[in-house]
Amino acid sequence: MGLFDKLAGWLGLKKKEVHVLCLGLDNSGKTTIINRLKPSNAQVQDIVPTIGFSIENFKTSGLSFTVFDMSGQGRYRNLWEHYFKEGQAIIFVIDSSDKLRMVVAKEELDTLLNHPDIKHKRIPILFFANKMDIRDALSSVKVSQLLCLENIKDKAWYICASDAVKGEGLQEGVDWLQDQIKAMKT
Amino acid sequence: MLESLRDKSEVALSVKSLRYLLLDPNEMEGYVSLYKMQPIKRQTIITCMATLKKNMADEDAVCCLVIGTESGDMYILDPEAFTVQAKMALPSVPVYLDVTGQYDVEFRITVACRNGNIYILRRESRRPRYCVELGSQPVGLVRVNKNMVVGCAQDTLHCYTQKGKKLWTVFLPAAITTMAGMDHAAKGFQAVMVAMANSQVHVYRDKHLVNIILAQDVVTSLCFGRYGREDGTLIMTTKGGGLLIKILKRTAVFEEKDMSPGPPLAQSIRLNIPKKTKLYVDQTLRERESAVAMHRTFQTDLYRLRLMATRAYARVLEANLAPFSSSLSEPLKMNAVVQGIGPCFKLTLNLQNTSANQPSINLLISFMYDENLYSMERGFFKLPMLVPGLNYPIQTVVDCRSDKGVADTIKVFVLQVGRSSPLLTAHINMPVSEGLVVA
Ligand SMILES: Nc1nc2c(ncn2[C@@H]2O[C@H](COP(=O)(O)OP(=O)(O)OP(=O)(O)O)[C@@H](O)[C@H]2O)c(=O)[nH]1
Ligand SMILES: [Mg+2]
Repeated sequence: MGLFDKLAGWLGLKKKEVHVLCLGLDNSGKTTIINRLKPSNAQVQDIVPTIGFSIENFKTSGLSFTVFDMSGQGRYRNLWEHYFKEGQAIIFVIDSSDKLRMVVAKEELDTLLNHPDIKHKRIPILFFANKMDIRDALSSVKVSQLLCLENIKDKAWYICASDAVKGEGLQEGVDWLQDQIKAMKT
Repeated sequence: MLESLRDKSEVALSVKSLRYLLLDPNEMEGYVSLYKMQPIKRQTIITCMATLKKNMADEDAVCCLVIGTESGDMYILDPEAFTVQAKMALPSVPVYLDVTGQYDVEFRITVACRNGNIYILRRESRRPRYCVELGSQPVGLVRVNKNMVVGCAQDTLHCYTQKGKKLWTVFLPAAITTMAGMDHAAKGFQAVMVAMANSQVHVYRDKHLVNIILAQDVVTSLCFGRYGREDGTLIMTTKGGGLLIKILKRTAVFEEKDMSPGPPLAQSIRLNIPKKTKLYVDQTLRERESAVAMHRTFQTDLYRLRLMATRAYARVLEANLAPFSSSLSEPLKMNAVVQGIGPCFKLTLNLQNTSANQPSINLLISFMYDENLYSMERGFFKLPMLVPGLNYPIQTVVDCRSDKGVADTIKVFVLQVGRSSPLLTAHINMPVSEGLVVA
């Protein structure tokens, strides 16, 4: 970091950068959520299933986020762990209308939490119980029960229901994440 | 003529004709006049069905319907016109079918029949090419690659090659209720699932049991494949009307644990045993030829050894050289402990009267030692009366006079007044005095 950059940082002109991993099963709406968080002129219209992963950027009032939007398809899920070291926060997206695969989401979450790169790291995890607009979607409370989130003791976590298509609930989650990261850095 | 038909029918008859044969003679006429205007048709019932790719191997290519019937015939239907393209006759009623290949190229139909046989049909053959006799009724048929796995009514699972050669048999703990194949292309995993009457579902890769699923109820049908977005989903229905859905974990690995009975794995590992030497072979031969003589020589030597040992023991006892006395009048036991590192040692003699109720009196202790090496306060003293059973520790001090690092034995004698030979003798091996070195 050059002197100018440092100066800009002190003056609050340059935003702090954070690396965030966006994980969750395929079709849960990860790409849709991240797309919604970008400025409206940078948003894309049609979203296709992610292949491998893609790197996206968006800014909030205080932070500049670099998001690794990982593909949730079974055959790409083994890529996730290669990025665990770099992540300073995790966004875990759940399709709350997919009751059948809630066990799969739990399985992947447990694998994630028990991974050596994550296990002893005090890293904040934001859960989006997405697709809350679908008629018989589970509530965020029910999702958190099914995933046994209350067992996460050594990490800060937060769950909020969201509708990525309309963009509802996203800001609430991102605000929480920003507070956590700020608290962590100081 | 009707009588001969009734006795043994060599011609296949329609249901109507069969009925006719059953009737009383006076009802026959009415029956004939009722049905004489209708053509006589032989109808049959479908017992099993499968599909056969017409001329392309793709997943969604056009398929012909393969049908097995109660009359023991197999039909292959054209997918567009539904006309019979091929008909094959079987010696028995087919119950399970497996079809591979393409109709226009080459295909193979494996049929398990009610008579307990499996027939293998090929293109251009109107009759079965191979026949496997199972020994009991088939209850399931699954193809894994090129091999057929058949479940039998005798709680067994057999595997045969395409040509009907048996590869292995597995014995199951309960009767089979249903079977299905498990093909996970992404993992390259192929197995056979067998549901049994004990509510278990076993998964076999080849003949190895790799997993057991415990269901709450008897599983009556199984299907593995893609369901929704999940590739490895197993759907089961149960006898009580339940539906179970299981999703294979992404990280699952199937290991061939030693769950199946049979010789343990270690048995088949070759040990690195060195070759037999000539000496060894000669010796073995000699041992085989003159075993009796060898045994005799050994026995003689053994007796000699025993005799010598007994003699030596008797001599020791006679001379009262042992640290215990078995004389009836004065049974005594003694052991000695040396403590210290020198040059001054403490010698403790533990004396015990082992008789039942006779106290020992008039006993004396005498030490014999090299006076150049050791000196003792008292080389000879009287013992108190020894009450039976009690332990008497008697302590004396021994000084080592040499600093040359040599040691000797000290002999202890327990004597009795009025007897010339000692009651007991003990030899104490003194440790080397290290005291001077330290000081
Ligand atoms: N009804 C509804 N549909 C949603 C919502 N969020 C996403 N979708 C739809 O879900 C589908 C999958 O969304 P994606 O964002 O591609 O899902 P993904 O998690 O990125 O999937 P992969 O890239 O395959 O891992 C899309 O058709 C979205 O329009 C939501 O909140 N409600
Ligand atoms: Mg995506």
